[in-house]
Amino acid sequence: MAFAIVGLAGTRLAKLEWGGWVAVAFSAAAMVLGVLIAVGEMLSPGQYVNAQFTWLQLAGAPGPFPNGISLVVGTLVDPLSALMLLVVTVVGFLVLLYSIGYMHQDHGLPRYYAELSLFLAAMTGLVLSNNLLEFFLFWELVGVCSYFLIGFYYEKPSAASAAKEAFLVTRVGDVLFLLGIFIYFFHFATTGPNGGWAANGFVFTNGSTPFLPVASGGSSTLLTIAGLLILGGAAGKSAQFPLHVWLPDAMEGPTTVSALIHAATMVAAGVYLLAITSVFIGFTANDQLAIVAIGGFTTFFAATMAVVHPDIKRVIAYSTISQLGYMVLAVGAGFAMVGLFHLFTHAFFKALLFLAAGSVIHAVGTQDLFKMGGLRKPMRVTAIAFAIGGLSLSGIPPFAGFWSKDDILGAVYSQLGSHPLYWPFFLLAFAAVFLTAYYIFRAWFLAFSGDRARDPSLPHAHEGPWTMRVPLVVLSAFAVAAGLFIFLPNFQSLLLYGAGASGIPPVYGTSDLLLSGVSVGLGAGGIGLSYYLWGNGRVFVLPEASPLHSVRRLLLNRYYMKVGYDWIGLRLVYGISRGADFLDRYVIDGTVRGLEQVFSTLSNQLRRAQSGVVSDYAAYVIAGLLGVFVLLLIVAPYLLAKLGGG
Amino acid sequence: MDASSFIGPFVPELLLLGAVLLVFLFDVLGIRRNEGLSTIAVAATSLALLSVLGDLGFAPLGVFATLPPALLDAAPTGAPLYAFTSLGLIFQAIFLLSALLVCLASASRPSNEKGAPIFYGLLLLATLGMLLVAVATDLIFLLLAIEVTSISTYLLVAYHRRESRSLEAAMKFFIIGALSTVLSFYGASLLFGAYDSTNLFAIGRATSTVGFPVLVLLGYGFLIAGLAFKVTLVPFHAWAVDVYDGAPSDVSAFLAGGTKKIGLFAFFLVFLGPILYIKAIGAGESPFQGGALDLGPVLTLTLAVLAVITMTVGNLLALLQKEMKRMLAYSSISQAGYMLIGVTIGTAPAITGATMQIFAHVLMKGGAFLVVAGVAALGIGPLIDDWKGLGTRRPLLGAAFALMLLSLAGVPLTVGFVSKFVLFSSAVQAQGYFVWLAVAGLLNSALSVFYYARVLKVIFFDAAPTVPVAPTAPPPAEALPAGGLGYGRAVTIGLIAVLIVAFGVYPQPVLGAIQAAAQHFITVGA
Repeated sequence: MAFAIVGLAGTRLAKLEWGGWVAVAFSAAAMVLGVLIAVGEMLSPGQYVNAQFTWLQLAGAPGPFPNGISLVVGTLVDPLSALMLLVVTVVGFLVLLYSIGYMHQDHGLPRYYAELSLFLAAMTGLVLSNNLLEFFLFWELVGVCSYFLIGFYYEKPSAASAAKEAFLVTRVGDVLFLLGIFIYFFHFATTGPNGGWAANGFVFTNGSTPFLPVASGGSSTLLTIAGLLILGGAAGKSAQFPLHVWLPDAMEGPTTVSALIHAATMVAAGVYLLAITSVFIGFTANDQLAIVAIGGFTTFFAATMAVVHPDIKRVIAYSTISQLGYMVLAVGAGFAMVGLFHLFTHAFFKALLFLAAGSVIHAVGTQDLFKMGGLRKPMRVTAIAFAIGGLSLSGIPPFAGFWSKDDILGAVYSQLGSHPLYWPFFLLAFAAVFLTAYYIFRAWFLAFSGDRARDPSLPHAHEGPWTMRVPLVVLSAFAVAAGLFIFLPNFQSLLLYGAGASGIPPVYGTSDLLLSGVSVGLGAGGIGLSYYLWGNGRVFVLPEASPLHSVRRLLLNRYYMKVGYDWIGLRLVYGISRGADFLDRYVIDGTVRGLEQVFSTLSNQLRRAQSGVVSDYAAYVIAGLLGVFVLLLIVAPYLLAKLGGG
Repeated sequence: MDASSFIGPFVPELLLLGAVLLVFLFDVLGIRRNEGLSTIAVAATSLALLSVLGDLGFAPLGVFATLPPALLDAAPTGAPLYAFTSLGLIFQAIFLLSALLVCLASASRPSNEKGAPIFYGLLLLATLGMLLVAVATDLIFLLLAIEVTSISTYLLVAYHRRESRSLEAAMKFFIIGALSTVLSFYGASLLFGAYDSTNLFAIGRATSTVGFPVLVLLGYGFLIAGLAFKVTLVPFHAWAVDVYDGAPSDVSAFLAGGTKKIGLFAFFLVFLGPILYIKAIGAGESPFQGGALDLGPVLTLTLAVLAVITMTVGNLLALLQKEMKRMLAYSSISQAGYMLIGVTIGTAPAITGATMQIFAHVLMKGGAFLVVAGVAALGIGPLIDDWKGLGTRRPLLGAAFALMLLSLAGVPLTVGFVSKFVLFSSAVQAQGYFVWLAVAGLLNSALSVFYYARVLKVIFFDAAPTVPVAPTAPPPAEALPAGGLGYGRAVTIGLIAVLIVAFGVYPQPVLGAIQAAAQHFITVGA
């Protein structure tokens, strides 16, 4: 198990020209291990704590932690982590392989491979963590790596600022997450088995029993707040409303990085956090409602923005936010594993879409859809791959996306009775199916259909080298087949792993056929509308008088949210920096200068004293003795009387 | 008491005594080669260390155990002169470790050096005194044991007798030391006047009934001043910088890593016992009200103030230093402030934290001074700026030194982080105004990062002087034969670096033992 981590971390040493191949080799080894673990988990489902050792053990003392605190390091494999591990290692390997072709002209490649490998290592560690604090450490490491990778083209100001933005926004989430951990820290100092969760190192399981501290009692308001804070952390990482703003801008990194981080793994960390929290710690009912609301709303909200955008990578980015919303929705409804199943299929078809888009960008050198066109003929493999990805995303059977999305809708549908407010978000998620199909095929038609490029200055397009084509083919196969996992013998029961609430097993074929029918119909309708407006090289222009123009502007400007954030940020930061400037000029500078003088006099004194006058030292000792007497006899009693006994 | 039950517990001490006699015998016989004497010293200290660890119950070392198990952590009866607590044994192990490291590194001293027998003899004698401190339970026994160590170290500092800096340092050390000894004994005699005993158990039992509060407070005040000399608390620290600077660096490593810790253990013994037995002061009461004596809070607050002053002043002065050894000396003073936090709070986790910090400090600061000794032997000057480019010229040495500084600054995955984490979290756990001790400690740690980082920058990022500068001043005595780093030092420094990381990554064996010992110490009382 730990080989996966060690192997990947080892590639940090690969600083040479062939470092890329070393990284690929190590990640291939990690992938083999990951697949083996996943297969093992599939054959005999269960929770395996493989290795655990106590890193620090603080003994208890009177105070908030009578039973002490322990920090442990360990690994845990269960259906959730096995599935995530599969995603991370396989997609990571393919992306690294693809990078060798895609990145060959860039400089700073050793840095690229080192950061990418470290990122994968951190992600693997996160997935295998068996306790909350270890999880948080890896979570931070993932954040730092993503900052480096998004800012890979750091000479480009937009890339540098996108990296900063991603770091700051996810940081907001991280702070919330940490606060949530602190609440658990204090709340479960003594509750829970074996002297409290804190004394147990916050491990998720104790042998084969989940701790489920929320179920084991406590005041529910505090726990609801803790759950909301965890949700905040997940929303930051998984780009959920209202912390979604960083993700589209993060497309400034290399496309491979976008594919890896923003489609397959990093954003998945937030969903994974929610999933393990719901399985091992538990959410209160109000938390669940909040999660469903955020997920359902984000699904629709992000899809609307993708509808109008001209940039191929940004369309896919918005689509990612939207799909993450589905996963959050499923976890909120209590079906963590179903959410992760969509994460699993999504990782493949979204990585496929990103790499196909990267292939297109590599060939034509622009990201503007309205300049492209007619790429179907010179780039046959890419066109087919993108289409497969699009069909999968749209939820058309038998592609992978259909099975998992259908499961999510079925799962939420089965829980609609638990709270009337589930309904609107369920409907929003349903409506998003239509939008999804529309926007992704709008992108396909704009890029690939027609006879030639709309901008004649574009270079003659051609397919990339084999290292770029092979991952496309492999991922296409996965995008077709990943959904068929559902027919594996153990998989249906695995999907219900950790599903707390009672309800209809949300499995295709036994759940509502009508539901599936409607969803597929919506998807097909979206594709049809897209063909009608954009097919065969057509370009749909909104009539001048149409009232939809204002809507379009609103969407293109991302609901003005980023502007709003910037405004708030500017005011806040500007105000703070003005204050800081004042402090710096007058208070700190003054103090520093004053201290400098004090110290230079003082050290001069000391230097003079050191010229052999020992009696000065003796005088210090005597003065110190008198000082101690003053403290003992006068100051301390006085202070203690003031403090009321200290 | 039959002979075996008397000899058994004192095997480590007897081993050292034997080695001392052997070294001096060789001196008389004219066998004065450094390598041979170093081997004797290393053998004696490591055997003693194994024996102590065996006594502590580390399973694989059981064969070395010599202490009858019944004596360990036994409940005190009567007024014994000495007792064997597991915390005391852990301190013995720490002292022996520091002596062992210095002896090992000293194998690299020039083999025809004249005073080698005196060096090792005094070093072992000082260590013997330290071991006795760790088992003392009587004030007079304790102070005499401290004297054994002190007198040996005065001479060690003056080891280079033709070097005026060393001599001056030794004179200062001796004069201030003598003054402090006087203060300590005077304090002890005042306590004897109040309690009619110098036994710590007796004092612990008697505190609540004695009727001379001012006398007792004055006694404790004198004791604080006397012991603070050893621990280098501000303002009793002035000697330390000159002495660490003037002494041979190997000796400085021993002073900073080893002997100053006996003062801390003495603080544990003298103050934690009595403080624990005194009842807590009620709201609005003055400690002088009524017949009963409430010394605890007053002493605690005094020690807290001393701790904060010490760590702050030490750090601030370290910021200004231009010489490496003086910087390390001030940093050592500020570390004493952190350790005093443990004495001040006095709960089992706090004692654990302080002991852990002391253990870490042996490695970090002892190691740092040994690096300084090695660097001086390479012919590099004493100023921090002289170290420019060390990271490229001697990458391994530079990396080891960087590791020690990072550990001193408390960076995770080093032993210094673990100890600070345990110590400061114990202050937070203790609540009340102790939380402010943790805050002060954290702020000071942040402050200390500045001067450590500056050194790191000089070592790794500043280019080495392009022309090898010919030493203008006469080189320090220890650099004279310029034998290079030497195997002994290299091995020791490497070992320390490995230990710093190993216990930073997996502190549990040490931490667990210290925790158990601290718990015993609190319950048994001495």
